Amino acid sequence: MKKIFAIAWKDAIVRFASSSELIFFIILPLIFTFLLAGGTPSNDDDNRVRLVVVDQANTVISQNIIAELDKSTAVRPEVLTLEEAESQFDSRRANVVLIIPANLDLQAIQDGTAQVDFRQQPNNLNATVAERAVQTAIRSVSSAVNAANNAVKTAEENGTFESEADRQAYFDDALKLAQTMQDDAPERVTVIEGSTPDRIEYDPRASSSAGQLITWVFIPLFGISALFAYERQQGTLRRVLTTPTSKATYLLGTISGQVVMALVQMSLLILFGTVVMKLGWGREPLALFVILTAAALAAGAIGTTMGTFIKTEGQASGLSIMAGMVMALMGGCWYPIELFPAVVQTIVKILPTTWAMQGLLDLVLRGGGLMEILPEAGVLLGFATIFFSIGVMRFRYE
Amino acid sequence: MLKTFLIGIKDLRLAFRDRAALILMLAAPFVLTLGLGLVTGRFSGSNNSGLSDIPVIIVNLDNDQLGDALADVFTSVELADLMEPAIGSDPEAARQLIDEDEAAAVVIIPEGFTQSIIPQQSAVAAELVKIEVYANPSRPTGAGIVKAIVDEFLSRVEEGRVSGSVSILQLVLSGRITPAQAQVAGAAMTERLQTNTTDSALAITINSSTADGEEVKFDILAYLAPGMALMFLMYTVSYGGRSILAEKTQGTLPRLLVSPTSSTQILGGKIFGIFLTGSAQMLILIGASSLFFQLKWGDPMGVIILVLAAVFGATGWGMFVTAVARTPAQVANVGMSIMLIFGILGGSFVSLDQMPPAIQAFSKITPNAWALDGFTTLALGGTLTNLSAPITALLSMGMILFLVSVLLFGKKNLVQK
Repeated sequence: MKKIFAIAWKDAIVRFASSSELIFFIILPLIFTFLLAGGTPSNDDDNRVRLVVVDQANTVISQNIIAELDKSTAVRPEVLTLEEAESQFDSRRANVVLIIPANLDLQAIQDGTAQVDFRQQPNNLNATVAERAVQTAIRSVSSAVNAANNAVKTAEENGTFESEADRQAYFDDALKLAQTMQDDAPERVTVIEGSTPDRIEYDPRASSSAGQLITWVFIPLFGISALFAYERQQGTLRRVLTTPTSKATYLLGTISGQVVMALVQMSLLILFGTVVMKLGWGREPLALFVILTAAALAAGAIGTTMGTFIKTEGQASGLSIMAGMVMALMGGCWYPIELFPAVVQTIVKILPTTWAMQGLLDLVLRGGGLMEILPEAGVLLGFATIFFSIGVMRFRYE
Repeated sequence: MLKTFLIGIKDLRLAFRDRAALILMLAAPFVLTLGLGLVTGRFSGSNNSGLSDIPVIIVNLDNDQLGDALADVFTSVELADLMEPAIGSDPEAARQLIDEDEAAAVVIIPEGFTQSIIPQQSAVAAELVKIEVYANPSRPTGAGIVKAIVDEFLSRVEEGRVSGSVSILQLVLSGRITPAQAQVAGAAMTERLQTNTTDSALAITINSSTADGEEVKFDILAYLAPGMALMFLMYTVSYGGRSILAEKTQGTLPRLLVSPTSSTQILGGKIFGIFLTGSAQMLILIGASSLFFQLKWGDPMGVIILVLAAVFGATGWGMFVTAVARTPAQVANVGMSIMLIFGILGGSFVSLDQMPPAIQAFSKITPNAWALDGFTTLALGGTLTNLSAPITALLSMGMILFLVSVLLFGKKNLVQK
């Protein structure tokens, strides 16, 4: 027992010999958790088609058009300068641009000279959607003027006006009447939200906290392989061979030390999630301990097996980072697994990160307890058993 | 010049002979791009980055002018690519399909809808009859577009109704016609509305124009692949910087300094080596993704110039880290940290558009953000002429960092005889 502790302690001293290790142990995981929690798309995101608007008129009419566009369920207006809009349109960053020219006002509408420019990229369906939304907004803003104009036209069909002032007065009265009728117009559509179950249970904070915890703990645990390669290269493994230390004692000391460090790292990240991100990690502490330990053991076991195949420390470090990142990505630690194609969702079940992520989300997102995470913990312990067996069988001091 | 070139070539060879370095320079970005292609559905064809074929169910119980006109809108040729309409007859069955996530929305046009707007007998006050849009909450974009199409149709109907009513009422109010004549005029107006329900012209003319060129469908991998390549480019430049300090520790740098080679030539050669290695890495990754993933990066000249500018900017960071650090291990650790931080700040993991504005502004210190912006422009059909901002930013970044690094190198007497 004393030897196991001594080996684990030695590994901890070696690992934290440089203070820069703290960057990877806690600082980077916290930065990633924070940024991905704040930056990951959530269900509240505005999914409407982006419509770049250039308001050169800056009149009541132009502002009303923009306000109407903002009410649309299809487009999201974004007001830019002409230069910015043209730059985005030319570089195809904007699919559609609406330019409201400087002379667009009530008089121009009355005179029938009012125009707007609508520029669209070729064969773009977003542009079709945006054009209809623009038509709706323009109609809503200008329909009273249009009605007044039509009223004047109808009156002219029934006789001429005595003077221009008479004609203008007729127009003004018709406009007032049209505006009143428009204001009194009833809502002719009602929207009822269906009871479709949400296909994706998703909370960016919970997913980021759980996903980054797994990513940043699995990478150093895979790095056990680099530890073995380093000791092998340095010849310190051979020295251990000359002491009365069995292979099992050495492996247990090394692996348990790394697993304990991983548990400390996970505890710090859980603490951050609980205190800063207000996540309910502490609701089921026993279940949390079980899933975290099972995940750490599985990752440690894979690192052990990797260490028996890889010869140099440099290669082991690179492969640990690559394997950790790829497994995290495929296991749903960066993006919700529910968004993956169905086939990929099935394939990634061969990865421990998938099970670890599901277990953690069962706890923090779905409100599960010990019973709910037992299947995931069982699979992770299965990974640990298989890979530890391979690792111990293949382990050589030289 | 030749010596500088030879030192650069030597460092390029060393980098590509180091298997450990190759894992992070080439294997990791390639495998991660492959993984991203799989999880986004890029390789299975299930990725849909645009709007099309929105499934909608139309239940027309009105069976009159306006109901039919609205149903025609959804089945029109104009919306053929956007909508995938199905005609239903049972509102309850249609709603059930939404609850089962089979469509984005149901549009139920109730019986008497046309009558409520254009009554046959104008004297009878029409009862309000509302269209129902039963929306699927798990498809908010599609449902929102369906609602917008209904809104647009109703705005046309409403404009016609208001326009007609104002014309008649104003004639009466101004005394141009009598109330008795108004009934006749009203009947004529109703008839006109019935035959021409939704075809009123806009008071503001929309001058619609379409840009030249072909339709460009954005490939999600065209964003993800450069994101990963740029992230691991930061590893490469710090790896190159590390070699300067490693050569000093191993004694090969003092040996070089006793040869007839100036310190400027040595430093220039090392920088050139980092630049060559980074460029080679980027071009290999671009070539591999084009070959294996059929990824179109866009205008070849734009891609090459952007790669060179991105590597220049990144090399500046590599030199800066080397100038600040004391040991090769420090360069490795700081380089790896910068690689990851710049990766997330530069948009390699999550699109910068989804980051808070402060983070978006801060991301401008990374070559990743500028270069990714440029690669996205190229993937969207842009050319070299559209890349002036990212290229200028990357070159300026590189120049400033080189100057600062040279000053720091001078203070440390790192490459002095």
